[in-house]
Amino acid sequence: MLSVLALTSVVLLGIASQTTAIVVYTSWERHALVGTDVRLSCSFFSWKWTSPDVTFSWHYRSDGARDSIAIFHYTGGVPYVDNKGPFRDRLEFVGNPSRRDGSILIKNVDIADNGTFTCDAKNPPDIAGSPSNVRLLVFENVPVQAGVITGAIIGVVLGLLILIVAIYYLMRFLVARRVFSLSMSKHGKKGKGKEGSQQKQALAVTDPAKLKAAASEKKKQESRREKK
Amino acid sequence: MLVLLAAIFLLHIACICLLLAATIHNAWWMSNTMSTDIWSRWMLNGGTWNYTEIPDHYPKEYLQAVQASSVLACIFCILGLFVFVAQLYTLPKGKRFLFTGAFQLLAWLCIMIAASIYTDIFHKDKEQGWYGASFILAWISVCLTFISCITYFILRKKTA
Repeated sequence: MLSVLALTSVVLLGIASQTTAIVVYTSWERHALVGTDVRLSCSFFSWKWTSPDVTFSWHYRSDGARDSIAIFHYTGGVPYVDNKGPFRDRLEFVGNPSRRDGSILIKNVDIADNGTFTCDAKNPPDIAGSPSNVRLLVFENVPVQAGVITGAIIGVVLGLLILIVAIYYLMRFLVARRVFSLSMSKHGKKGKGKEGSQQKQALAVTDPAKLKAAASEKKKQESRREKK
Repeated sequence: MLVLLAAIFLLHIACICLLLAATIHNAWWMSNTMSTDIWSRWMLNGGTWNYTEIPDHYPKEYLQAVQASSVLACIFCILGLFVFVAQLYTLPKGKRFLFTGAFQLLAWLCIMIAASIYTDIFHKDKEQGWYGASFILAWISVCLTFISCITYFILRKKTA
């Protein structure tokens, strides 16, 4: 059974390596602030081993232009960086072709760098595939995402409200317990007949509000007894 | 006594309705072809109303502050209604509806913040248009929630 499975997987792999093309991966979109450096990553998936003749090439199409220009090419183990176009002296190759990484670094981006970058990788003999695009969006200042501040304000205010209500009820509960324990210890020391019924009354009370009322009632009874 | 209770209850429900209308209906600022704020903009294009986003030149932080405070005002007012009904049954006789009054006070504060920020920050340049229904309802709710809050602070539960 296991040998049948192994055989089928090998056959399928063999078929697949002949039918699937090279797949190039880049990010979908990159956001950057004016003046920062942006790393555009490019990688590929191929069934064949990474060849020493692997090539990477980057093209750039500005946000208003119709054609794309070539800005980077890596071939024969040597990276060739654009030294005439809009990215001269700003482009650097930071990839590792033996690890299938063809990333480039654009330094000091500007608003004019808004556009679409296309990465095309070829891994001979696996050359059939389509290139991948990444959009670069450059901002003057970071835009506020819709609804972040709204959600934050609502969350904080409601959280504070719940906290205050919880603390209020906790304080009431603690104060009532303290009153209850004080009255219990007082009556325990005196130990008279009437205290039996009063203690039963105290034990029956559980609600803190009624506890306060009961405590005040006990005080009234004590004052009446003192008057007698 | 029952009439008074019904009137106060109706006032509270009216506050809730006005607050919800002001928050949800996008009509704080209107013109002949546009009905806008605080969530999105309705543009009249050739006979049909289209739902579009608020343009980028709006001060975003202030807009989100107005959104947050008007939503909070609705929440506090609705919570206040439930607290009022609860206090009707649990409050000892002769006591004031302070908890409900506190919620209405918070609601009044929030909608006043929202209406004030909107009045002072948005549409300061002489644009075409006029203040819409939601804006007017927001300011009316400021008055009504204040009246409701004072009522709850003064009202005492009927003594036996």
